[in-house]
Amino acid sequence: MLATEQPESRGRTRFILKKMLGSLLTLVFVLVFNFVLFRIVQADPIGSLFRGRNVPAAKIADLRTAFGLDESLWVQFWAYVRQTFQLNFGISYQSRQPVWNEIVSAIPATVALVGISAVLSAVIGTVGGVIAAWRRNTWKDHAITSGTMVFYSMPDFWLGMILLVGFAVVLGWFPVGGMTNAGTSATGVALLLDRLHHIFLPALTLTLAYLGEYALVTRSSLFDVMGEDYLTVARAKGLRDVVVRNRHAVPNALLPVVTLIAINFGFVLSGAIAVEAVFSWPGLGKATADAIRGPDLPMLQGLFLLFSAAVIFFNLLADIAYAWLDPRVEGA
Amino acid sequence: MRRMAVILMLATFGAAIAPAAFAQEDAEVVLRIGLTQDWETLNPTAGFAVSEYEIWNVHYATLTDKAAADFAPIPGLAESWEVSNGGLTYTYKLREGLKWSDGEPLTAEDVAWNVNTGRDQEWDNMLSTVINLDAKVIDDRTVEITSSVPDPKLPNMDVYLVPKHIWEPIATDYDATVEYEALDGVGSGPFVISEFTKGQSVVMVANPNYWGWNGENPPIDKVIFQTFANPDAMVAALQQGELDAIHGFPAGSAATLEDDPNIEVVAGRQGGFDEIAINGGAVTGQPHPALLDLEVRRAISFAIDKAAVIEDLWFGLAGPLETMSPGADEAKWIPDIPVDKAFTYDPARANQILDDAGYLDTDGDGIREMPDGTNPIVLRHAVNTDGDLAGPIGELFTGWMEAIGIGVELASYDQDALFGVIVEGDYDTFFWGWVPFVDPDPMLSYFTEAELESYNDANWTDPRFEELYLEQKVELDPQRRIDIVHEMLTILHDAAVYIPMYLGPDLQAYRTDTFEGWVRQPADIGPVMFSNSSPSYSLLRPVGSGSAASSDGTNWLLIGGVVVAVALAGAVVVTRRKSSADDRE
Repeated sequence: MLATEQPESRGRTRFILKKMLGSLLTLVFVLVFNFVLFRIVQADPIGSLFRGRNVPAAKIADLRTAFGLDESLWVQFWAYVRQTFQLNFGISYQSRQPVWNEIVSAIPATVALVGISAVLSAVIGTVGGVIAAWRRNTWKDHAITSGTMVFYSMPDFWLGMILLVGFAVVLGWFPVGGMTNAGTSATGVALLLDRLHHIFLPALTLTLAYLGEYALVTRSSLFDVMGEDYLTVARAKGLRDVVVRNRHAVPNALLPVVTLIAINFGFVLSGAIAVEAVFSWPGLGKATADAIRGPDLPMLQGLFLLFSAAVIFFNLLADIAYAWLDPRVEGA
Repeated sequence: MRRMAVILMLATFGAAIAPAAFAQEDAEVVLRIGLTQDWETLNPTAGFAVSEYEIWNVHYATLTDKAAADFAPIPGLAESWEVSNGGLTYTYKLREGLKWSDGEPLTAEDVAWNVNTGRDQEWDNMLSTVINLDAKVIDDRTVEITSSVPDPKLPNMDVYLVPKHIWEPIATDYDATVEYEALDGVGSGPFVISEFTKGQSVVMVANPNYWGWNGENPPIDKVIFQTFANPDAMVAALQQGELDAIHGFPAGSAATLEDDPNIEVVAGRQGGFDEIAINGGAVTGQPHPALLDLEVRRAISFAIDKAAVIEDLWFGLAGPLETMSPGADEAKWIPDIPVDKAFTYDPARANQILDDAGYLDTDGDGIREMPDGTNPIVLRHAVNTDGDLAGPIGELFTGWMEAIGIGVELASYDQDALFGVIVEGDYDTFFWGWVPFVDPDPMLSYFTEAELESYNDANWTDPRFEELYLEQKVELDPQRRIDIVHEMLTILHDAAVYIPMYLGPDLQAYRTDTFEGWVRQPADIGPVMFSNSSPSYSLLRPVGSGSAASSDGTNWLLIGGVVVAVALAGAVVVTRRKSSADDRE
């Protein structure tokens, strides 16, 4: 990006390196914590896995050995660390398939649902916030602020249930759950439409739920810059109001919003557990709920590591973006 | 930033478009079933969930079938069998011209390979059946199975037989066998797996080679099982006709469904029950010393109001139960406990028993102490957080005990942690449940010494019970075996360590206007699907013509798509306008 070596860019590089190191240390902490977390409870995964199955006791003891559960915690821990560094997340207790494959197969559904909602809510929420701030204390401001706050303050699963009952059960406009019509033979455009039909309500739920955050942050951030001298100068130059707003006020006000977008994207993988349950959406949230019921330790470890890594990565991205956008950062 | 947003939008849409789907024509007859449990694996040597067993019941035929009425062994792949060698050897004669769904012949070789390999590799779901068996091929249609000990379960051979020609190259050892995904779609039952989408559905197509079609065309083309994380949404889908049948909905929805003239609700029972168990003290961790006194356990049993639980928590859908239910056929295995020995709710009598035994409230705080005046009786009651009813029952239990001067401290555990707590013996009482197998042997074995620190969650043993257990295990006379089992269950009842609360129903519902021919297993009280061998699937026929009404969502599908597209376009336009304003500056 930067062709010329500027004096402040060295400070910026140091800032970014520091942040990267911090992220790495956080990830290491998560790796250790992850292991401890699922072993704090006095638990016998094999015992509960087989309860109600007609399996001889000797056979269960064999399986504990096979899963390494009769080893000391240290031995189990080093095996876990070694495996993780080889990008091997183990075999799921329940499906007997590699954890990584199980996770990968559930990622697209969640990324599609939460990704679409995150983009829509960021765009619509930000635009709404700009309008609300620029038309301060008008009916527009009140409508936008209170409207988005109503949805923001509702628990998202509850909002989801209301939309489900209204649009899917009473009106019958949308399906009551799932990602496609079960066993559909549709392909191409028909399949895409089927998926859009299914994703509509859950995506609407999440979009409405996130709107308020963006609208409020944008609005208050714009208030901060609206009194600045450079806006007065811009107006004095005779620029039209809309140019003053879009060219001079909004870009500066967007800094905190960029951070918010990045942080929210960190939760794209894990942020919709409740809504996925309401709409029977087959993503990572549902996979987590199923794994907890086991408990499928390798699966949970893999999922939590992925969720943590995503949050850490996007936080790092937010820091870096901030460093690029805001020249005042090197002082930090 | 703007470009990134557009790319992200495209990427998320891209992620939503992945190949899927199986061919389906409009004229197809499709049976759609909703359930609340997901599938982890469809491999019959590895899976164990109820949802998975149902798929295997449909995908695999078994050597012997079980009668819908009472689980009695009836011809399956085998048309007949003969017993010899003093009851140790059974010779099964296979039907003529049996084929797998892929057209390969199904022979005695398949049967023998399954029995012997399952035994040698210790396949979890088969081991207890075949552990003492040895199978020998006599000819293509004849297989001889010999048990090294008398086995009252024979001639029943209800293990899922996998196709040898597919599995033999894969099943080199236990690990390789259980890790196989088993999506080859080759089976012998009425329908076979054609597509499995985890978290969503299993699609099964009619198997033209299934012996039970008797050469006629299958009346149903396809069975689709769809899983719902949200049971209320599943109930709505049945009411709208998007589903033909549902399994495992909340008891609170039963009344709503019963009001619909086209929906039949089934509270199916096949021996499943829930119990309050008292720590019998046979492992390291000890209960409160008062619980080691039979009189105290009897008092607790008299203080529990089972009828109220059936009425208030189950809306009257559960059945009464006085002693443990060991098998799926309730009528056969559960003994009658005489009225004078039954623990019928009677708190006054419970208080009298405790007074007579010397457990008095010496310090007037409402809690009784041991006869020596020390150690107030406060019970550590474990609540299983994985069940819907454990919480409410914990609250009720606290009230029942308070009425007889016993304190209760509730501690919550998930199922897995609770298993650990029970094995250690760190509890006084807990609430949990079982769904027994058809044969009572496994359930009875859970109260023997060998199962301590494993499945013996009563932490209780009894020498006479142990003796009788070994007797029934090898008793080939059916009536004599029933008598032994009844005696064992009476001993368990009188020890008052395992207090059965009720026979729990498996809640199901089906539409009466789409398919007919649902069969209950066992007769009159059983479920119509997700039963032990699920005979309904090969007997169902569409009502009139055509299948269930499909949802008329096509127009809305377009509208939904358009709305999203407009929103996205709007977002792009807003950002575009911003840049054109820049240009005009």
